[in-house]
Amino acid sequence: MNRLWKGGEPFIWLTGAALAFSLIMVAGLVILVLVNGLGFFWPSSVVRVRLDDGRALMGQVTEREQVPQPGAPPGTPVRYRIQLKVGNRDLYGADFVWIDEAKIVQRDEPVDALLVERREWGNLYGFIQGVRDGDREIAQGPAEGWNSLQVHLPDAQAVVDEIRRVEKKEIGAINYAQERLRLHMKKLALEGRQDGAEVQRLQEEMTQWSARYRDRESRLAELRERSRYALVVVTADNQTKELPLAQIVRAYRPNAMGLAAKTGLYLSKVWEFVAGEPRESNTEGGVFPAIFGTVMMVMIMSLFVTPLGVLAAFYLREYAKQGPFVSAVRIAVNNLAGVPSIVFGVFGVGFFIYFVGGSIDRLLYPEALPTPTFGTGGILWASLTLALLTVPVVIVATEEGLAAIPGGLREASLALGTTKFETTWRVVLPAVMPSVLTGLILAMARAAGEVAPLMITGVVKLAPALPVDGFWPFVHLERKFMHLGFHIYDVGFQSPNVDAARPMVYTTALLLLLIVLILNLTAILVRNRLRKRYALAMF
Amino acid sequence: MADGTKFLAPGESYDTARPRAVSRERVGRRRLIDQVARRLVTLGGVTIIASILAILVVISAEVYPLIKPATASPERTITAGLDSTPLAAAVDEYREIAALVTASGVHFVSITDGTESPATPLNGLNSARVVGASPLGSGSFVLGLSDGRVIPAEVKFPVSFPDGRRRVDAELAMQDPITVDPERHPITRPAYASTPNGPVIAAAVSSKELTLVTVTETKPLIGSPVKQESCQRISLPVDGEITALALDGRGEDLFAGTSSGQVARVDLRDPNSPKIAEPVDAAGRVGTGVSALGFLNGDRTLVVGSSSGAVSSWQVLQTAGGDRRLVKIHDFAPHADAVVGFASSRRDKGFVTADASGVVHLHYGTTGQTLLTVKTEGDGVTAVAFAPKADGIIAVNAAGRLSHWTVRNPHPEITWKSLFGKVWYEGYAAPAYVWQSTGGTDDFEAKFSLVPLIYGTLKGTFYALLLAIPLALLGALYASQFMHPTLKGILKPTIEIMAALPSVVLGFLAGLWLAPLVEQVVPGLFLMPLVLTPLILGGVYCWRFVPPALRKRLRHGTEIALLIPIVLFGAWLSFRLGGLVERVLLSGDYRTWLLNVLGLTYDQRNSLVVGFAMGFAVIPIIFTIAEDSLANVPQHLIAGSLALGATRWQTAIRIVLPTASSGIFSGIMIGFGRAVGETMIVLMATGNTPVMNWSIFSGFRALSANIAVELPEAPEGGTLFRVLFLAALLLFAMTFVVNTAAEIVRLRLRRKYQQL
Repeated sequence: MNRLWKGGEPFIWLTGAALAFSLIMVAGLVILVLVNGLGFFWPSSVVRVRLDDGRALMGQVTEREQVPQPGAPPGTPVRYRIQLKVGNRDLYGADFVWIDEAKIVQRDEPVDALLVERREWGNLYGFIQGVRDGDREIAQGPAEGWNSLQVHLPDAQAVVDEIRRVEKKEIGAINYAQERLRLHMKKLALEGRQDGAEVQRLQEEMTQWSARYRDRESRLAELRERSRYALVVVTADNQTKELPLAQIVRAYRPNAMGLAAKTGLYLSKVWEFVAGEPRESNTEGGVFPAIFGTVMMVMIMSLFVTPLGVLAAFYLREYAKQGPFVSAVRIAVNNLAGVPSIVFGVFGVGFFIYFVGGSIDRLLYPEALPTPTFGTGGILWASLTLALLTVPVVIVATEEGLAAIPGGLREASLALGTTKFETTWRVVLPAVMPSVLTGLILAMARAAGEVAPLMITGVVKLAPALPVDGFWPFVHLERKFMHLGFHIYDVGFQSPNVDAARPMVYTTALLLLLIVLILNLTAILVRNRLRKRYALAMF
Repeated sequence: MADGTKFLAPGESYDTARPRAVSRERVGRRRLIDQVARRLVTLGGVTIIASILAILVVISAEVYPLIKPATASPERTITAGLDSTPLAAAVDEYREIAALVTASGVHFVSITDGTESPATPLNGLNSARVVGASPLGSGSFVLGLSDGRVIPAEVKFPVSFPDGRRRVDAELAMQDPITVDPERHPITRPAYASTPNGPVIAAAVSSKELTLVTVTETKPLIGSPVKQESCQRISLPVDGEITALALDGRGEDLFAGTSSGQVARVDLRDPNSPKIAEPVDAAGRVGTGVSALGFLNGDRTLVVGSSSGAVSSWQVLQTAGGDRRLVKIHDFAPHADAVVGFASSRRDKGFVTADASGVVHLHYGTTGQTLLTVKTEGDGVTAVAFAPKADGIIAVNAAGRLSHWTVRNPHPEITWKSLFGKVWYEGYAAPAYVWQSTGGTDDFEAKFSLVPLIYGTLKGTFYALLLAIPLALLGALYASQFMHPTLKGILKPTIEIMAALPSVVLGFLAGLWLAPLVEQVVPGLFLMPLVLTPLILGGVYCWRFVPPALRKRLRHGTEIALLIPIVLFGAWLSFRLGGLVERVLLSGDYRTWLLNVLGLTYDQRNSLVVGFAMGFAVIPIIFTIAEDSLANVPQHLIAGSLALGATRWQTAIRIVLPTASSGIFSGIMIGFGRAVGETMIVLMATGNTPVMNWSIFSGFRALSANIAVELPEAPEGGTLFRVLFLAALLLFAMTFVVNTAAEIVRLRLRRKYQQL
């Protein structure tokens, strides 16, 4: 026993336990996000419960936990309660209720229980009573109603899509054109031209657009008139709710669905999440604008960070005279990677937004002032801020790559009579490219996961338009944008209905995690290949 | 060989074989390109490095105006033709027109060109003269007449923009005179407050007697409003005679200064029975009297100017016994002569005082600083005015000579002491560290103490490192010394991925998932180290009794495979035990126990949760650097130690650990840097309240989270904006210094390894 202690074997086990603990934490975290994120879209069955006080509730079970019984004597039987998502927010006020299992008298899963995902007010749970066309009843009862719903729902949804297209595309284009005309006229006024041929022309154009706008408005009114079918639903506690079909995103009967149907639904919901627009203050629908914003920001950042980082690394390693100055610079650059990201954000606000952006506004967009164009947060400034934040990553990776290239390679090239530039361009640069790539991928991963500096340089919870659209110059770098990381923060912490928003946050977190992990794994793989190559290339 | 390669014939010279001229031209061009490329790379490299370092410069440039001293530049001096000594002065927002009170009424003088607009005749002045006026700063005021009456009046400066150009006018609105003293003493020192219940007027009528008039307006359902005047006489128990009066805007407290240096307070909260408080010696020196009294913006702080030139600020504070007392807050830089003029800013706690010899001081009430001293040309000053935007000072002397300064002082409330020291704010019982940047009311004073934020940052860092350092270092020791190389090949990427997890994901899990979970198992969490350690040691002991045949199959360095289930079991066990401990020892609910026994409140989002989440973010950083330096300890040292008969643990702890200690230190430093700057985790997992206590069960507000929350709302160039930049500068400095130190330590270590 004594020898065991002196030899220190138990301590080794203790150190091992510390590592095991850390690994369990990582694995636990990944599993937690994975389970919660993936499970959300699965159409679990709808449960109807009757309580001992006669109330009836219907919904999906989201959680089951032990009821805390403080002060209970030992040996008290453990009690459980379930959290039921009962939806019907417009009728009940809250989407979720906790039910003590002891109070449940009867619990069943009715086959014709209907789940309606609505554009507003969240889910609706109930049974179909009928389908109406205006005041006329065209179907009655669950079965007939369901069939009628299958017939009429696609039409209603087509109308909704058409309304959205008119609103977004056509009216959006009119608004855009009118705004440009207004700014143009203001610009002329600033130049002192209040009237004249050009102003007249602009005013004529303006009236044309206004006429077109009225035309589209009447078209919208006509479309809205057309969608007059409604679904009548009776809830578990016998309240009746009439729901226009235009309000329905999706209606299904989870208890009547087989595995294949559920999988199909699951995939369609995943697709909606990835490619759809957010609804209900971001707590439902998709995150496409956030994905788009994240990707575009990372792309713009890469555009800046790669040449800059490579140039700086080549200067430090290949061109500058090695000495105390370069060592000091190298330490400073290394340390910059450790400076808090929020500090870069503050720099972005002070320098890019107010100094550079403010100057651009005064010089190029005086007609829009005092509304800032570039003098406020936007995707360009956010990308530049992140480029600055990640440039040390690229510099360090490239420098490491340059240091790993055997000196013989350069010497051989120089001995053949090339100039330094030719050696650098033809020999060193291709050899160091994988390192640059590693650095770039790491920089992209860092940028994709970073939120704090973006919060102050141009991310918003809901951007009215994507930074890329069909209007000239197509790419609008001054626009604010949405971002997956900020989406997590916003939906999880600023949303009024946290319980309903939570699954959305998990799913978004999973998506972000996947992006970051894939980028990092790619970087690790590239680096490992690189190491092998140089291990062989040594001579 | 059709590619143009030439072969030399025997005896043929090289020159003819290769066209030299072309070659020279090409070489020249190549050289040129090389030179240009060298210049470009150098230029580009230096620019990029310089621009990276420019971060420091840009942030500092935004912070600099905070500490820039106030400046005043004299503007045009004009002389107004006045009929008597001016009694009081005011100026409009754009500093174009000054209002001066003289014996005949109120005169308006243009400061820009000296023209005078005709004075509005006063209602019912008759043969009386104006002999006194209450301060004009807040708009409405009273003029004291020589026959015992006062005229309530108001000076307005309406601004209009005809033809797109600004035009400032001046007008005087006044009401009917009110008789204050039936015995018709001249009212030289009136004090006036316009309260929601109606105006309150106070005036000194003899050396120790005051008269107090309250006018209450009641509006009956039918007919015109009925005014009710009540007049009381108050005799003050003071030495000397009354020399100054001040009444706060709510009509709650009346202060009277005397020639013996006392200040007496009359509590008017119950208007029917005024209570006279014990007089306080306020003039500073024996034998000097109070010569000026006035309130700062918000009417909570009283400024006392004495005939010896001393200036001090006072507040009425609630004592522990429940009574209210006048307490001195600050002494300001004294004047050389008696203080005769006082004017306060209408947007902050700044004020100006003027003395009889013509020197004007600009002070800031909250910080106790005197920011600026200017001197008028010519003799003494009788009245001063502080521009409504706090950007100008007007001083008038007896001859009507009007001096005007433009003051540039955008951030008067910021001093090093107000940022990093305790400040005595209005309404606080004692000086305190407070961060409170926005408030509900108009006269709210923003409080910018960075101390609670620095405290919060360090608190979060401390708890994060408390978890991270032991786990990371022990893990690194195991990974570098004992772990099987194959396993290590899997482990390192895992840890790297752990480092790359976006902090927003960690923060969200900490705030929404971990915080409610931790709340249920706090006792179990604290039991965990106590349960896990014996469990693992017991595991080692039991392992010896496992048949050797089975034991052999577990190679050195793969203990961890066995440990993971043990740790999982231990965690489960400690949570169960925690529930038991809570029931048996902590009377069923640990939160009540904490509150009753330790006096700690439990916030759901607290430092414990932050410690876990931020510890999670810091572990891989410390681990990577520490593992690196441990693994790079020269092999011959380890081999030597093992050859001499030391066990692998003894080698690790006596040889490897001391050799690599500086690398471990630098790992901890870099982990510290990361924790200090972490934003999203602290933003989401703490309550973000700027409290100052070390309790692990309460939240905090960190510098970084504070910037993220408040910068989007801060107007550019304002004080809050610049203070947030200062916070960023602090973060930058903290991390940069720590990281540089760590980097230097690491480079030293690398050199040491090469020498060993």
